[in-house]
Amino acid sequence: MTMISSQNQQVRTSFLRSIGRAFVDIRELTLLVLILGIVVVMSSINPYFLSLANFRAVAVGMAPIAVIVIGMAILLASGGFDLSVGSVMALSSTIVAMLLVAGGSIPLAVLAGLILGAAVGFVNGMLVTRLGINPLIATLGTMSIARGAALVLTEGFSVSSLPAEYAWLGRASFGGIPAIVILMLAMVIVFDLAMRHTRFFRQVYFIGANEKAAMLSGVRVDRVRITAYVLTGILAALAGVLLSSRLMSGTPTAGNGIELQVLAAAVIGGASLRGGEGTILGAFLGVVFVALVNNSMTMQAVSIYWQMVVTGSVLVSAVALDMLIRNGRT
Amino acid sequence: MHYDSTITRCGQTKIEPIIALSGITKSFGPTQVLSHVDFDVRPGEIHALVGENGAGKSTCISLLYGLNKPTTGEILFDGAQTQIQSPAHAQQLGVGCVFQELSLAGSLSVAENIFAGRAPSKFGKVIWSELRARAEALLAEFDLTVDVSKPVDSLPISSRQIVEIAKALSLDSRVLLLDEPTSALTPDEVEGLFSVLRSLTQKGIGIVYVSHHMSEIFEISDRITVLRDGQTITTESTAETTQAHIVSSMIGSAHPGDVEHSEDQLGDVLMRVTNLTDGTHFEDVSFGIRRGEIVGLAGLLGSRRSEIVRSLIGLGGSVTGKIEYKSQEVSFNNLRAAMDANIGFVPEERKTEGLFLDYPISTNLAAANLEKHTRLGMLNGRSIDEASRDAIDAFSVKTGGPDDIVGSLSGGNQQKILLSKWLEREPELLIIEEPTKGVDVGAKFQIHTELKRRAAAGTAIIIVSSDFPELVALSNRILVVHQGHVVADVLASEADEDGLIRMAAGLPAPTDASSNLYEGTPT
Ligand SMILES: Nc1ncnc2c1ncn2[C@@H]1O[C@H](COP(=O)(O)OP(=O)(O)OP(=O)(O)O)[C@@H](O)[C@H]1O
Ligand SMILES: [Mg+2]
Repeated sequence: MTMISSQNQQVRTSFLRSIGRAFVDIRELTLLVLILGIVVVMSSINPYFLSLANFRAVAVGMAPIAVIVIGMAILLASGGFDLSVGSVMALSSTIVAMLLVAGGSIPLAVLAGLILGAAVGFVNGMLVTRLGINPLIATLGTMSIARGAALVLTEGFSVSSLPAEYAWLGRASFGGIPAIVILMLAMVIVFDLAMRHTRFFRQVYFIGANEKAAMLSGVRVDRVRITAYVLTGILAALAGVLLSSRLMSGTPTAGNGIELQVLAAAVIGGASLRGGEGTILGAFLGVVFVALVNNSMTMQAVSIYWQMVVTGSVLVSAVALDMLIRNGRT
Repeated sequence: MHYDSTITRCGQTKIEPIIALSGITKSFGPTQVLSHVDFDVRPGEIHALVGENGAGKSTCISLLYGLNKPTTGEILFDGAQTQIQSPAHAQQLGVGCVFQELSLAGSLSVAENIFAGRAPSKFGKVIWSELRARAEALLAEFDLTVDVSKPVDSLPISSRQIVEIAKALSLDSRVLLLDEPTSALTPDEVEGLFSVLRSLTQKGIGIVYVSHHMSEIFEISDRITVLRDGQTITTESTAETTQAHIVSSMIGSAHPGDVEHSEDQLGDVLMRVTNLTDGTHFEDVSFGIRRGEIVGLAGLLGSRRSEIVRSLIGLGGSVTGKIEYKSQEVSFNNLRAAMDANIGFVPEERKTEGLFLDYPISTNLAAANLEKHTRLGMLNGRSIDEASRDAIDAFSVKTGGPDDIVGSLSGGNQQKILLSKWLEREPELLIIEEPTKGVDVGAKFQIHTELKRRAAAGTAIIIVSSDFPELVALSNRILVVHQGHVVADVLASEADEDGLIRMAAGLPAPTDASSNLYEGTPT
């Protein structure tokens, strides 16, 4: 029923119009206001909140999630989905650590970790495209496999005593700004621009908006979708490298439940499970928002268990609000 | 019950309309779409609503069906002012509707679609046997025999359109709104629909009939209302007016006429198909097409025209036989491969296959032309915009500009965008299903002219159309397809609509007009 949908469309995807024109669209502005709101409220409650040390801690802490959300936002735009990101992060962090402990060189170990992430992404992509398995089921499976593999390899223990030079990536800083934060911001900017301006990512949006029409416009649908899964796998593995370098250990239990936070952030930032929309900038602001909410709660000594309740609620409210706005305009 | 009241009303000298739009205006945000619309439907009449693309016909239908609410003005039901809250409310009032774009749930069965939410049930359990029997009975009125337990997706589009009409009929409506119900129907199916409509009017049902086909309108309607730029220009009795008069009030000037048949020089053979067989849909299909030639495929329901053309460009299953393109044997694995060989394809269903309804016009036009607008992987927004403006001008698309969301355009204007998307590629071979589906008389002329111009410049064009007069007007040659076999290959100049229909139905040609340019021609 075109009549109904055409009304919602005005609300739904003004963003593609803004792609390549204005950088910040309504969704992103709303998020910025919310983020500012948190900052204002929290700094009046707790003076430490506004300190450089706290911001640095928040920024460093969210870097792995921000790197992963880039992949998730791309996948969501293509109509895909990946639950295995947290497990891939853990698996890559342990594999890299184990290779280093075994005497491997840092570049080789990191490369191996990234290739592993790419491999898991490739498997996800093949399962979803060639076998036609629902992404939820397919990546739920690989999520369990990757996590299991990390635990089997390490027998459940963290891998530590990494070479001291490995700490560079996770702990170095330039002019007081941690290298890891610089890397995160650079990646967000590069991928955001790429999503708006490159041919490849435009095809990603086409597939998410209408897969059949994309195919009938000459988009090699399977190839693009598999590439998006591989990219997500690599980004999750990179997050694992950043994490292990910062903690100086490979942790098989790292990133448990992180997929929910990543998803929440992306959806809050304007991505949709139906595909065809969302930006990297929006998803990144979503990560900032979720990180600040968690930080505020930690500061107010809210227990970690309650934080889970809140993250879940924020996700559900964000999606519900989104639906209300869309349906309410008929 | 309301049946009796209709009869008494018919007996009176002045017939009360069942439903009426009175002094209606309608705006979507800042754009005013309707102004001063007066329109009514009386019991037992077929009232045609005509106008150019974007004139506001579908919007009127949406108001009568409760999908949108008028900005100002009244809707009268049995003479009383009524606010139609929703389609469900409209159905309660006895209004049934067939939308311009099909709205069936593809994965559900035909029977379930027809009785969506109103399936015969006992203690909450659906009685499947009765559901199927009732669905079959309804479809039988259209001579459509299909397995009603099969998913709607598995039917060809014209059958789906009939299912959609049957669904609206199953409501026992007093008023039936039909928005371009025949856009995918072949001539024999249109006749089937018309006899059903006539029997409905006998029962006192009022029908609103939207179409761009003047011949249909003059055959079936009792009154005609012309909309232009959101205003009702005139309402006339069909018996007392002429096609020329209606068309000139639609477009505000004289009828553009038909495109001239020109005897163009044809080039060498671009594609030759020999004994193409896919084992399930079609068999032993052979034909050739030259540069500069327009070949039409005519066929009725079940002819498999779509399957044949789609199998040429990697969109079908595996085939045996030979496809030669530019004198080389080819076998395209997917559409991309065919596009790389400079072949274009305009699919039949613009909503599900052709367009990204949520995206702007410019993005849609660029979708098949990304290479052209890309340098070093980066898209050039300016060249995309320029190309969009050109396309909008070329076909006078009714829109605010390239940034408008395609889904907000009227059906005919969406069709122009879909066609432009492929014309922009300037393919050497262009395969088009239903080139003028849903477009108005003027736009049809524009599109035909453009296709002729492309052909004159050397493009080979294969057209699949259920609009037989269009095939005759546009093609050099027409292949008639019957149940997966090419049964005739005739020169369009020697073809006429009735002969084509006969051959398409599997009957012998009235005269032996068939000829084959390609037998024995050297490559
Ligand atoms: N939701 C909407 N938002 C903005 N404009 C709209 C919307 N729906 C329709 N329009 C505009 O209203 C005008 C009338 O559209 P409508 O669909 O009623 O035309 P139509 O007469 O049915 O045309 P067609 O013959 O092409 O189907 C068009 O210019 C269209 O762009
Ligand atoms: Mg319309």
